[in-house]
Amino acid sequence: MLHLPFDHIRSNIADTAVAGSGSFSDYAIESRFRDEMFHGNGTLRSVAEKMGTALNNAKIEQLIQLQDGVRRRFLHEGITFTVIGQKDVTEQIIPIDCVPRILTASEWDHIDQGLRQRLHTLNLFLKDIYHEGRSLRDGIVPQDLVFGCPQYRMEMVGTKVPHDIYVSICGTDIVRTHDGFAVLEDNLRVPSGVSYMLSCRAAIKRAMPRLYRAHHVREVLPYPEQLYSQLASLVTWTQSPNIAILTPGQYNSAYYEHAFLAGEMGAELVEGRDLVVHDGMVFMRTVAGLKRVDVIYRRVDDDFIDPVTFRSDSLLGVPGLFHAYRVGNVVIANAPGTGVADDKALYAYVPDLIRYFLAEEPILSNVETYLCRTPEGLAYTLENLDNLVVKEVGGSGGYGMLVGPHASQKEKERFTERLRIDPTNFISQPTLALSRAACFIDGKLVPRHVDVRPFVLQGRTETWIAPGGLCRVALREGSLVVNSSQGGGCKDLWVINEEEECNAG
Amino acid sequence: MLARAAADFYWMGRYFERGEHTARLLNYQLGRLVDTPADVLAHGWQVLYDALGYPSPVPLQDADNAEAYIIANAFALAAYLIEDTENPNAIIQSWTHARDNAKQLRPWLPVRVWTCLNDGFFWLRDCDFAEHWTQGPERLPAGVIDRFRLLSGIIESMMSRNHAWRFLELGRYVERLQLQTALLKAWSNPSNENSQMWTGLLRACAALEAYCRTYSMAIQPRHALAFLTSNPEIPHSLSFAIQRVQHLLSDIDPAGSRYPRKAPHRYSMRLAAAIEANSHASAAPEDTQNFLSAFGEDCHKLHHLIFAEYIDYSLEQGLPS
Repeated sequence: MLHLPFDHIRSNIADTAVAGSGSFSDYAIESRFRDEMFHGNGTLRSVAEKMGTALNNAKIEQLIQLQDGVRRRFLHEGITFTVIGQKDVTEQIIPIDCVPRILTASEWDHIDQGLRQRLHTLNLFLKDIYHEGRSLRDGIVPQDLVFGCPQYRMEMVGTKVPHDIYVSICGTDIVRTHDGFAVLEDNLRVPSGVSYMLSCRAAIKRAMPRLYRAHHVREVLPYPEQLYSQLASLVTWTQSPNIAILTPGQYNSAYYEHAFLAGEMGAELVEGRDLVVHDGMVFMRTVAGLKRVDVIYRRVDDDFIDPVTFRSDSLLGVPGLFHAYRVGNVVIANAPGTGVADDKALYAYVPDLIRYFLAEEPILSNVETYLCRTPEGLAYTLENLDNLVVKEVGGSGGYGMLVGPHASQKEKERFTERLRIDPTNFISQPTLALSRAACFIDGKLVPRHVDVRPFVLQGRTETWIAPGGLCRVALREGSLVVNSSQGGGCKDLWVINEEEECNAG
Repeated sequence: MLARAAADFYWMGRYFERGEHTARLLNYQLGRLVDTPADVLAHGWQVLYDALGYPSPVPLQDADNAEAYIIANAFALAAYLIEDTENPNAIIQSWTHARDNAKQLRPWLPVRVWTCLNDGFFWLRDCDFAEHWTQGPERLPAGVIDRFRLLSGIIESMMSRNHAWRFLELGRYVERLQLQTALLKAWSNPSNENSQMWTGLLRACAALEAYCRTYSMAIQPRHALAFLTSNPEIPHSLSFAIQRVQHLLSDIDPAGSRYPRKAPHRYSMRLAAAIEANSHASAAPEDTQNFLSAFGEDCHKLHHLIFAEYIDYSLEQGLPS
């Protein structure tokens, strides 16, 4: 175990951290950003009191030792993601910051309730668009937005989905501003990052055991067994289903995660070539012959899962898989065609969908979104490009977006051109003042922008949300892009049963 | 167990064995640099390269100055076997391939096995061969051997005796059969009557002490060859390896080892019988070379039979009855 001399709690008020002094001498509070550790006047928030005090008591060398230890652990355990460049493929460890972000239980419970409400709605919406289409007829969502969405799958129309659970695994990106928490986007196709959440937790727990214990942190580690049981609950024909994770293979950027989850769940990690469909059933090739597969947690996009039904040039999929799914002999999670509900244009309608399907007000708000497919939205976006973030509706990973305040004139001109040519492909949002959390970077404690991606699991009857999530950090100073492929990293997120003495400064 | 995963374990075992085998032979050859005449060393490199399946290195042309170049020559020849990424069978490549296989096997591998493999990869990738050389030419191969043995020890103590472990071991011993056969063939070439070379080989195969107890300190090439072929107690003998293959196959597929036996089981028995028969055959060099050539080809065929039976079988063959 990494020995941390500073890993003890002292409540001596003299040791209490203040932004701008002691270990936090380089920590500058900016009033436009909510700070997760300090009030606006530079004093510690009560939720961060123990952590801030411990960091303040630590010497820089000790913090360096802590950070190095955590990073070394990631390196040795091969906790990596793959970056596919123009020339070669490189394997990188995910940058991890050693200072956990802390939320109170009541803050988290608010997020938890909002996520349940949202996922329930999206599952109802998906069932609706592939069956009755009430929400489309009633004009809640424009029909052409759904039918024109590249993720809409005609093949799913009328298909009976086990227990009407289209989305079993969801990762929703949540940001925080002075106005509170808001959903930035829903990831319903193949949300990734949960392995980093679990690995971060394991590393931090070992690195600062006493601090961890003193905080009474809610546990995220049951995620793999919850994932297993929620997926298993979707099967009706056997009590002990065979669950397989379908991966595109080791060159996929999230391959580590696929392998990690398979190991933790005790599921098989399969590629398309390992599976065959025979008599409408899916089998995997084992050394003792073919063995039936009951649930496939696929980490392959819709387009590639079955070359017979979808893209015929796919080498990653399994010929006949969709047929086996349609006849009800295998569960695929998430269901094909769920991507229509995480389209960034559809996102703008989720609050209305919540009101429509559940007759409730949304618990978590949306970020204001301008649809460039509408003339007003396009005009507003073009006029205010300097202040907006423009995103492709089907984009992900921080690619294909323009952050107006940070973009060069040339980039803005290029986006203006693209917006005019194909406005339906874009949405825009105001540049958010994402909250900032303390990070240890280059030997200094400094604030960086963060978001969080909680993971929601939906089984036959139960919804389970890991009380933590992947906290993503924009490690570059001033940057708002938290994606690991764009210079972002991750940190642990602690949800503690201790109330913050309200109101942000 | 998933057939592809079994294949990955199998290949991982083969790469472990290949890397360690090369390191052991290099360790032996580099250990001789200090006191062996230049012409004997040059011959040693030729035999070693031959045993590993490479074209023989070109001998130093200027025999008078051979002494002056012997170290530089050894450095280049050893570097090719250790760190040259253009050489597909270099130790660094074996370790890299084993790690690539292991990456796909994370769900089945104990974390400690992975971290040991991963640490070893970084160590080997980042090590400065030239610097190690200055501290002693055999230092790096010795370090590599230690890493492989550490890994073997961790596997031995941590892995469940399930199909994953069995296929890993199967790969290891099939590779050992092929490598040891090539090694014995290269050494038993009529030009290698030098008993010192056989002493070195027995040492490299961790069999010298056992040999001396069985025979005597006077190394007879004929006895040494028989010892490394037929003695079932020596881990690097052909007899030992084929016995392990038989046991592993029967653990993997107990029904396959009963009558009517499946092809890999039958073939492994045939190989065991060939070793037994050879132990009673004449020791004429030509017969030995012929036996080892044929045995090497049979080992290669065994590999294909294992794949055809357990990995690349047809859909009809694999359907549940």
